[in-house]
Formats: sequence, C-alpha cells, structure tokens
Amino acid sequence: MLSFLRFGVIFSFLLSVIALSLLVMKTFSFGKKPLYAKPRGDAKKGIFYALGRGMLPWEKESSGKHLPSYFAGMLYHAGIFSALFYLLSLTFSLELSRLFISLLRFLFVLGFLGGFTLLFKRILLPQIRKISYPDDFTANIIVDLFLIFAFVHTYSMRATPIFFFLAIVMFLYIPVGKIRHCFFFFYARILFGLFYGRRGVLPPKPHKS
Amino acid sequence: MKLKHRENQIPNSMSENAHIKDVLEEKIIQLKPEDLKKALQIFREKLNQEYAAYLHSCVHCGLCADSCHYYLTHEDVQSLPAYKLSLVQGVFKKYFSFVGKNFPGWTGAKEFNQAMVGEWVDSFFGRCTLCGRCSLNCSLGINIHLLIRTARSALASMGIVPPGLQSTVDTALEKGNNMGIVKEDWIETVEWLEQELQDEVGDKQARLPMDKKGARLLYTVNPKEPMFFPLSILAVGKMFYAAGESWTLSSDNYDVTNYGYFTGNDEAAATMSDRLVQSMKKLSCKTLVLAECGHGFSAARWEAPEWLGKKYDFEVKSILDIVADYIRQGRIKLDPSPNPNPVTLHDPCNLVRLGGIVEEQRYILKHAVSHFIEMSPNREKNFCCGGGGGQLAMTRFSQRRLKAGQIKADQIRKTGAKIVAAPCHNCIDQLMELNKHYKLGVEVKTICEIAADALLIIRNKDQFKNI
Repeated sequence: MLSFLRFGVIFSFLLSVIALSLLVMKTFSFGKKPLYAKPRGDAKKGIFYALGRGMLPWEKESSGKHLPSYFAGMLYHAGIFSALFYLLSLTFSLELSRLFISLLRFLFVLGFLGGFTLLFKRILLPQIRKISYPDDFTANIIVDLFLIFAFVHTYSMRATPIFFFLAIVMFLYIPVGKIRHCFFFFYARILFGLFYGRRGVLPPKPHKS
Repeated sequence: MKLKHRENQIPNSMSENAHIKDVLEEKIIQLKPEDLKKALQIFREKLNQEYAAYLHSCVHCGLCADSCHYYLTHEDVQSLPAYKLSLVQGVFKKYFSFVGKNFPGWTGAKEFNQAMVGEWVDSFFGRCTLCGRCSLNCSLGINIHLLIRTARSALASMGIVPPGLQSTVDTALEKGNNMGIVKEDWIETVEWLEQELQDEVGDKQARLPMDKKGARLLYTVNPKEPMFFPLSILAVGKMFYAAGESWTLSSDNYDVTNYGYFTGNDEAAATMSDRLVQSMKKLSCKTLVLAECGHGFSAARWEAPEWLGKKYDFEVKSILDIVADYIRQGRIKLDPSPNPNPVTLHDPCNLVRLGGIVEEQRYILKHAVSHFIEMSPNREKNFCCGGGGGQLAMTRFSQRRLKAGQIKADQIRKTGAKIVAAPCHNCIDQLMELNKHYKLGVEVKTICEIAADALLIIRNKDQFKNI
C-alpha cells in the first residue's frame, strides 16, 4: 500500500510538472513582445530588485500596510516548502535528525496558521470574498491539510498514507488551479522587474524623503 | 486665434451628459455576436506571453486595494484592482484556458457578452486611470494596467469608447492635433509668443524658430499650450534662448499627446506617433523633445517604437531631461528668489512611475524655488491625481474622477504648499479642478514655468562669475 502511494506521489509530481510545462508552453505560444524603445535603466537590476529587496514589506505599500497578511503569506509559503522537503525525505527514505524534524514541525505549524489565517480572511472580508472562487478556497484547504498531516506525520508514521494521499491530490491540483502560481509567481516578478528596470523606475534611487 | 486665459478653460465636467451616456449604452445594446467575436480576436492578438503569464498569476489576495485611488475614495468592490483584473482574467480563462472552458464557475471564467462589455466599460474606462500604482504594489508583480489597456483595445475594436475620448482621437487623426488647431493659428500664436519673448529678454534677435532644418532639438507641444497655456511655450523658449540652444518647433505634426494610448487603439496611436517621426525626418533633428505631458511622454518614449515596430534612429527626451542638463552643465543659471512661496511637486504617473523621469524635476525645482516640499508618498509611489487614462475627456465619469482626486487633494493640503508643480497638462487640468472643488487655495504650474521665473537671462556670460 505504502509503496503504491509512494509511487503515486512520484507519478503525480511528474504529471504535475508535465501539465505545468504544457501550460507554460501554451502561455509562451502567445508570443514575445518585441522591445524597440531604448532602455533608460538596467533591466537586470530591475529583475534582481523584483526578486529580492522589492519583496520586503517596507518596499511595497501593499505589504507595509498589511503586515499580518504579509507575514501570514511568508509563513504559509515557508511551511509549504518545508513540508515539500519533508515529503521528499519520506519518498526517498532520507534520514533527518530529530532536531531538524523539530524545526520542520515548528514551520509546519506556523505555515498552517498562516494559511488558515488567509483562508479565514478570505471567508470573513466581504471585498475579498467577492473576488474569490471555489478554486481559491479549495487550493487553500488542500495545502492546509497537507501541512496538518505533515505535522501529524512527524509524531505518527500511521499518518503516512493520508499524508501521501494529500500530496498526490495537491500535485494533481497544481496545474488546474491557482497553485500554478508556484511557477507564474517567479515569472511574473521577472517580467515586472524587466518592465520597471528598463524604464529606470526600479530599483528606486536612494534619496532623502 | 485668441488665446484664452488659463482660468477660463476649466471644463465644466460636473454636468453629466445624458445624451453621451445613451449613445454608448445604445452601442452596447446593438452589439452583434460577430462584434463580440471580433473583440475577442483583437483581445487574443494583443495578448503576448507576458500578459498571459500575468493572467495565470493573480491569487486574489486583494492587497492591491489600498493602492488604488478609486478604491480608497469609493470603497466598493468594483473599484478594487483585483476585481477589475478578475474581469479580464475571467474572459481570458473562459476562452483561452482548459479549466475555464470546461469548469467556468470553478476559477471565475466569464462569458464575454453585452453585460460583460458594459462592466468592462464601467471598470476599465470609468474606474481606472491606467496609473500603474496597483501594478507596483501587486504581490506578484502583475502589470494590471497593461491588461486593462489590452481590454480597452478590445472594446475600441467594437467602437465602444466613451464618445468624448473617441472624439479627441478623431480630431487628432483628422486635423493633426487633438484640439483641431489650424496651421495658420499655430504659426500666428508662435509669432506672437516670439514677440513676447523678445520683450521679456530684451533681445530682438530672440527666436521661437519654426521649421528650422538641422536644429539639434525638435520641441513638441501639447495643443492645450497654444490654446490655453501659452506661457508654457514661452517658458521653454526662454530656457532654450538662455542656453543658446539649437532648436525648432514644427509647423505641423507637433502634437505630443496621443489619446490612442488611452482608447487602446494601437493603430490610431501608431499613426499619431509616426507623425512625430515624420517631423523629425523632415527637419533632420537629432533629439525629439517632449513637452511636459505625462501620457505623451510614455506614448512617444516607450510605446511608439513598439506600435511602429522599429527602433528610432534619434533620441527621445523629456524637456525636463534637457533643462536639468542645462543646469548641470551651467548653460543656464537659476535664482530661486523670485519663487519664495512653498512649492510641492505632483508626480504624473506616466512620466514617473511608468516613464522613469523621477529626479530631473526635483533637481530643477531645487534650483528654482526657495522652499520645496515633497508630497507623501512621492516619486514612483505617488498617487494619481485622477485625471489620467483619458478621464478628463470622459464627462460621464467626471463625478467619480473628482471624488477619486480627493487623495491627491489631501496630499497637497498636507504639504501646506502654495504652488503645485505638475509636469503634465492633463494633471494640471485635474489639479485645477481639484483646487476649486476642494478649496485648496494653490496655484498650479508646470516645472518650466517655475524655472523660467527663476531664470537669469545673461547675455554677457562673464556675469556668471559673480553668481
């Protein structure tokens, strides 16, 4: 049963990668926008900014004004990446130290709290609810459950089948729902940095304000 | 041509034009399935991999809300940038994504029908100035304003553009400039201004050159300037005179504005852009210098080469680049004492956040005024005044425009400034209306007008040594 599920995890992951790649190829088939205007700034600097400093809360008003949401999002994603690493270790039977598992456990809890906070916010705030669709709730719930069972699994190996099953569901859901932003996030940030970097807007020049 | 005083040209946009409103709604009702199909086709053609990637990226976090002056002043979900984006995203998903086509309700895929066209018009023309502030604040980095402009393109392909905005484009295409100024009037105005310049600088040789072949700079103007703001042209003329610049105006194809940028009609925008290219060729100038006009700068500097599909073999600069260089190089000298009142600066979105002209205007003002106060926030983070995106030409949305401008009015009031410098004539129109509506008690001027007041006209260069 376990080997079957382990195979399922690997298979669903590969399927997810293939489906996501097809989606990316379809996106790229829309064609590249040629850029003829002479740059005023440095596109590379813009991209580095967009992927680095530009994500710090004081760089963006939308983050700075909403610190709880910002940190909930950060913790959520830290938890997800930790759980994915934990899943990898289980799938390929890698040994992890007790101390490291304790650290992961802590991150799973924080990640779950972050994710749950964002879900709660989506349900409670009417403006956010109005821009939410079943996909927004489903994606969050699947990932929250994945985090919960990653946590449970660190205490009980009996949770392995459920944890693997949730991993399969999550991987299969990635290309069809909003979790696809796991790829598009980075691509969008690069394009954002390119746009404002070329125009000499970002990174912002130091000044006394 | 009689030149009107600046105060007389504030449009009475408070009166909603019911007739215009009906015309647009009538057009929407009469849309046929083939019109909608054509619009979708245009929408598809205008999408590229960048835009498609953005449309796959939004996670509906809603953190963009506070970045939008419409949302901050109206607090309705329709003004939320993520909601506006969801209208574009919904149509994209419905027609160009597997899940959206097969399970539309699941991800918010939406049918493109007459009701959606109505919603697009209300959201993309009526609740957005294409200022890009939401883009800058998007957690994922989605350039929301580019997607909204793409949707405007689809609407424009069906002729669904608010009439006031469309007529500005039509006038520019038919008459060569968006105010329909005839050539003789333009030349006559420049001749009159030349005499003014000669009187001001006390030099009968001072010129506002017209059609001077081989000049280094070709200076383009906003047609509002000869009509309502002649002092703006005079101010720049003084600057060029003091710097001993080789420059010229063009008797035709001199309009820096490009309202095709706002309607989303790239073909019309390309035609208008090409006219400036033709003027550059005809006069063999090296640098195209753009007057203080936010969207005109963005259109000519950043978008026009893309619309025309070619690299320019000449430089495109803002007049602010040129004047800041004059100061740096010591070609002009400014004395701030004639400008003792506190001055604040409005950053036009198209010039600053989307254009990259961020520090030049500050550099000029710091030399030209005694007391400069920054607004908060400022530079690329500054709020839109509410006059962008063609809003000033769309009377049906003027109430919303004024309300959305409250953010800017509050920003200005907090500075305590008496003068607002704004390097954009559309912004100036909006700021003047805000000044009246919110009783700000300020004067609104261009950067060059302020700098010209501080300009030391020195014919004997030795006098510089004593300054």
